Amino acid sequence: MAYIDIENVSFCYPGQSRFVLRDINLRIYKEGVTAVTGANGSGKTTFSKLLIGLLKPVKGRIQLNGKLLSSLTLAQIGRQIGYVFQNPDKQLFCETVEEEIAFGVRNLGLPPERVTQKVREVMDYFELSRYAQAYPLSLSAGEKRRLALAAVFALEPGLLLLDEPTTGLDPYRKQLLGDYLDKLVAANRGVVVISHDQKFIDRYATRLLRLEDGQFIEE
Amino acid sequence: MDAIVVDRLSYRYQAVGREILKNISFKVAPGEIVALVGLSGCGKSTLCMCLGGIIPHYLGGMLDGQVLINGKDTKEYRVAQLALEVGLVFQDPDTQLFAPTVEDEIAFAPENLCLPVEEVATRVDNVLDTLGITSLRKTNPNHLSGGQKHLVAMGAVLALEPSILVLDEVIAQLDPVGKRIINEILVDLRRRGKTILIVEHDPEAVSIADRMLVLEEGRLIKDGETATVLEWWEFMLRHKYGCDNWTISGHATGPE
Repeated sequence: MAYIDIENVSFCYPGQSRFVLRDINLRIYKEGVTAVTGANGSGKTTFSKLLIGLLKPVKGRIQLNGKLLSSLTLAQIGRQIGYVFQNPDKQLFCETVEEEIAFGVRNLGLPPERVTQKVREVMDYFELSRYAQAYPLSLSAGEKRRLALAAVFALEPGLLLLDEPTTGLDPYRKQLLGDYLDKLVAANRGVVVISHDQKFIDRYATRLLRLEDGQFIEE
Repeated sequence: MDAIVVDRLSYRYQAVGREILKNISFKVAPGEIVALVGLSGCGKSTLCMCLGGIIPHYLGGMLDGQVLINGKDTKEYRVAQLALEVGLVFQDPDTQLFAPTVEDEIAFAPENLCLPVEEVATRVDNVLDTLGITSLRKTNPNHLSGGQKHLVAMGAVLALEPSILVLDEVIAQLDPVGKRIINEILVDLRRRGKTILIVEHDPEAVSIADRMLVLEEGRLIKDGETATVLEWWEFMLRHKYGCDNWTISGHATGPE
């Protein structure tokens, strides 16, 4: 069964006549790495915001794991889809790096020792341990990106939706990210990556979708 | 006279104990394209802000050494004065865009130079056309995609026609068409004698540079001709960091 089922979805921003997305029919499965490409301004980020309920379709419907997205709260959706924004500044709000990662994990209701363990695991993996007590917004862009990814990965959602995740990452950290995605896929989780990074897509994607004139083309 | 002189530059932010830049020295001649690479957090953006005078004027901190932009010591000139010499395009365009429309954004700086209205209009039209964003001229920058915002931020700086351009990871979020346009612009600017410093991680983006600098934990560890340093950097990434996803992909848009 599809994890996300998109039926006849169209979207335009309020006050605008141009439809950014037109009659989209698409199924996204909890498997592999799906890459979404398309020109700047083609609607990739808009599409991702529809999937996590930040925007509502003007036509059509989206189902997440068999339930209508419109019947779920943002928190309920957030537990099933981990979303990493294009700009990590929009996502980071805690006083320290450690707290930023712990915030979501704690809200899952895990016992404190499990929270601590999970935070340490992702901080180690993304080489953020030296910044554990640093203020997130004082980090470099690449470090902020790694932190935003780590905070979402720590939640272990069924599907990860990553908007331009390699921007600001150096080649070494890009490889760390890719290897992590491979591990997630091996653990039967799905990943959707919006990206212009052709080399990253070529290396890690198992399915390619290109957004053009408001519609998806499967490649 | 060199366009950029960085002489024994060290810097630490007020809130951060450790030194971010450590005794860095290099010069850039007029008309040179120089690429600056290094792992995240090594000090690339901090160095860019030193070149634009944002450090030390806005961010304070402890700066030792000297940065000269066309002979002007950044400590002695205001950021607004330096902006006429060096155009800095930030890593995050949201920190740069504020006007209600794209054309207002691009016109803002030339208008503030008190240029004649016709000259401002010509510059705006030229920049919009060169960047291929004329259709966005009446759009609110906040409604643009990430890549489009980068192009507008770039346009706002190009409209000032500075002699030095500093681009902090501007190309990464652009689609292939946007990347090609920026590459063409940079090659054309070099032809017209402009000096350009680009910070990027992508080997294709840096391959247009004449020279390449590598920063590691705040120190300048390599400075040389691009092809040689690219090869060395690729070797380092592969053998020191176990990274096999970074390969030199030729010099399709390289120096003429």
